[in-house]
Amino acid sequence: MRKSLAWMMGAGSFLGLASSTLANGWNMPVGVTDVSREIYSLHMTIFWICVVIGIVVFGVMFYSLFRYRRSRGAKSANFHENTSVEVVWTAIPLLILVGMALPATATLKRMYDPSEAELDVMVTGQQWRWHYEYLGEDVSFTSSLSTPRSQVNGEEEKDENYLLDVDEPLVLPVGRKVRFLMTSDDVIHSWWVPDLAVKQDSIPGFVNENWVRIEEPGIYRGQCAELCGKDHAFMPIVVRAVEADEFDTWLAERQEAAAAEASGVDREWGMDELMERGEQVYGSICATCHQPDGSGAEPTFPALAGNEALLNDLDRHIDVVLNGVSGTPMAAYRGNLNPVELAAVITYERNAWGNESGDAVQPSEIQALLE
Amino acid sequence: MWEVIKSVLAAFFGVQNERQRHRDFQHGKPVAFVAAGIALAVVLVVVVAAVAIVAAR
Repeated sequence: MRKSLAWMMGAGSFLGLASSTLANGWNMPVGVTDVSREIYSLHMTIFWICVVIGIVVFGVMFYSLFRYRRSRGAKSANFHENTSVEVVWTAIPLLILVGMALPATATLKRMYDPSEAELDVMVTGQQWRWHYEYLGEDVSFTSSLSTPRSQVNGEEEKDENYLLDVDEPLVLPVGRKVRFLMTSDDVIHSWWVPDLAVKQDSIPGFVNENWVRIEEPGIYRGQCAELCGKDHAFMPIVVRAVEADEFDTWLAERQEAAAAEASGVDREWGMDELMERGEQVYGSICATCHQPDGSGAEPTFPALAGNEALLNDLDRHIDVVLNGVSGTPMAAYRGNLNPVELAAVITYERNAWGNESGDAVQPSEIQALLE
Repeated sequence: MWEVIKSVLAAFFGVQNERQRHRDFQHGKPVAFVAAGIALAVVLVVVVAAVAIVAAR
């Protein structure tokens, strides 16, 4: 009696420990969508099925080992087969597996049904940032890591969202079905936000679909989940979910800003404003490889500071930025950046860190090259 | 014939008893088991596909 009481207390404290550990962030998040909650409850159901099976199987095993030990005179049985027992222990797992597969398949079917979406977002993975395009809305931007290098290098204390912060989060409306179209410009990436229960590979040459309907406004963070090179850990995802009307306002503002930027192509830009804009673009796009001070990382990422070959050949410089260099990690940015950004960043690279070419590249020149 | 099918079904399930195994190895022709195995595998595929199609409705 006392023994079984001790057993029960032991088992009870184990279960208590297990559930408090689960609540302490060791478990997967419940998330903020219908699908994420379904996945979580599936996960917990299957977890508890495994726990019960484990307890029963190991219980029988340890009991048998203990109760029928040799020192108590147990004699081993000697028989070859028992068809009915074998049928039972084959049929029971079969039923358990089918029982687990039915709800899992129903959830999978829901997860893979992106139909009737109210908003389409094209997500493009790039080494090493994400590019978002709100299809049909004329809004697109690049979302890069904003954690300062000084924190990476340990010169400054790491903040709470270390390596999980971006300059421009993906803004999504709450309560609307959003369809993601995922692809990549270079290697395979994977767009993963645990709270949204979305983890989808972005593969060059393919467009994968996924969808989400967020229920609570908030900031949801994620990471690239497919090893994609040097800065795989430096391309986080931040989703800012806002109420639908706030989203509409935001989208309208972004459309206005895009239109203003487009009209900026036609006017003459001064050196100072090009440099200012260029520094911004450089910091968000170029600095991960070519370094914030333009020193590069030889041999893969050439230095831009003091790069005579580049400074003496403006046309080549423009060509490299617009079209990339095949066979190297240098990507083509003609599709990612607008003419103003391209002109600004090229101007910046030619006039920063002691580079003194004096060239001011005008957005209109770039526009002419893009057509 | 029926005995062969029974043995193949038992193999699909993964449980066979010793008596039938002895009988199969003494009397059966291998070709019959292979043929029955292939035929029943086709039946299994058709049944699973049918279940999936019905379930997907």
